[in-house]
Amino acid sequence: MILYNDGMAAPLRIVLAKVGLDGHDRGIKVVARALRDAGMHVIYAGLWQTPEAVVRTVADEDADWLGLSLLSGAHMTLVPRVLELLREAKLDGVGVLVGGIIPETDVPKLSAMGVAKVFGPGTSLDEIVEFLKTRSEASHA
Amino acid sequence: MLDALWDGFRRRDRQALSRLLTLAARGEAIGAVRPPAKPGRVVAVTGSPGVGKSTLIGQLIAQVRGQGKSVAVFACDPQSPVTGGALLGDRFRMAGPHDDGVFIRSLATPGGHGAVAAHLDVLIQLVEAFGFDVIIVETVGAGQGDTAARELADVVVLLLQPESGDDLQWEKAGILEVADVVAIHKADLPGAEQTAAQVRSMLDMGKQKATPVLRVSSKTREGIGELWEAIATCELRRKRMTKAEARMAKE
Repeated sequence: MILYNDGMAAPLRIVLAKVGLDGHDRGIKVVARALRDAGMHVIYAGLWQTPEAVVRTVADEDADWLGLSLLSGAHMTLVPRVLELLREAKLDGVGVLVGGIIPETDVPKLSAMGVAKVFGPGTSLDEIVEFLKTRSEASHA
Repeated sequence: MLDALWDGFRRRDRQALSRLLTLAARGEAIGAVRPPAKPGRVVAVTGSPGVGKSTLIGQLIAQVRGQGKSVAVFACDPQSPVTGGALLGDRFRMAGPHDDGVFIRSLATPGGHGAVAAHLDVLIQLVEAFGFDVIIVETVGAGQGDTAARELADVVVLLLQPESGDDLQWEKAGILEVADVVAIHKADLPGAEQTAAQVRSMLDMGKQKATPVLRVSSKTREGIGELWEAIATCELRRKRMTKAEARMAKE
């Protein structure tokens, strides 16, 4: 865990974005609100982002995590592209979460590519918060 | 680690800049920032929540890039006093696509800092030393009380919108006094000219310097060029301060 000089934990910085032509942003906004209420700093990059724009946002915001939401069915095209660009930018250290409508058969494929976790419909908000907190403590310990 | 970051910074590695900004924003010691080769123009954009600061900054980014200048933006949004959490949504409204000449950092801003994030002075020095020509600071949007912006900025732009209060609003002390340029945003809406007239008469009455009052619309792009022109030709506040300090030193 990163600590401030005064001993307070530095809040996690997470970029939330939707890539591609997908106009459904209710879910990502609910997640944004939950992470905010859990004390995190949420950078909301919003709808219709290109993979290039998302990676630029992660770099310029010096984010610890990136959360992508896809309900369009384009996840097997767009998520690998984002991961590739992150690697090219030497941002492999940034944890990537995927949420939305992801068929179960695609989940192991995304995990194998380097996605830290896929959160599908029915995931509780506490589950996402707990995952981020636990993983961040482990990686920065 | 710090040495490696400074090495990267000198090689103009954006990620080194990004990392140093994070450390500085946390109040960690990063060492002295060298003065820039060429000072940038620091522009603070302030005004009430919903007046369109982020959207207008998006337009200004395009204007500045159109002239071949680079621009760094610090977008301040409020941080919860209860949880410490923050939802930083300004950059979403600063519509892209952006190239390497644009850098945007969102900053969570606790209350009590005069509507700008802590350590913003060091952050500005960093992007200035990195070589950005224009530095735009978006305040939280407290409006009336956020006069802290003037201590950091060369030019303070106040955004107002039509129907934003009767003429007594402008009599209140504070933000109107520190504005170098006043923009009546959403000027495509009715009532913009009336608001502009009220503000102009208020400024005249105060016999202050001639503060430009411009009608601007991000929707129609009316007045964007004129606004940038007013910002770009405004005498730098920091320079003015230095002159005033010199005068005081003489006396």
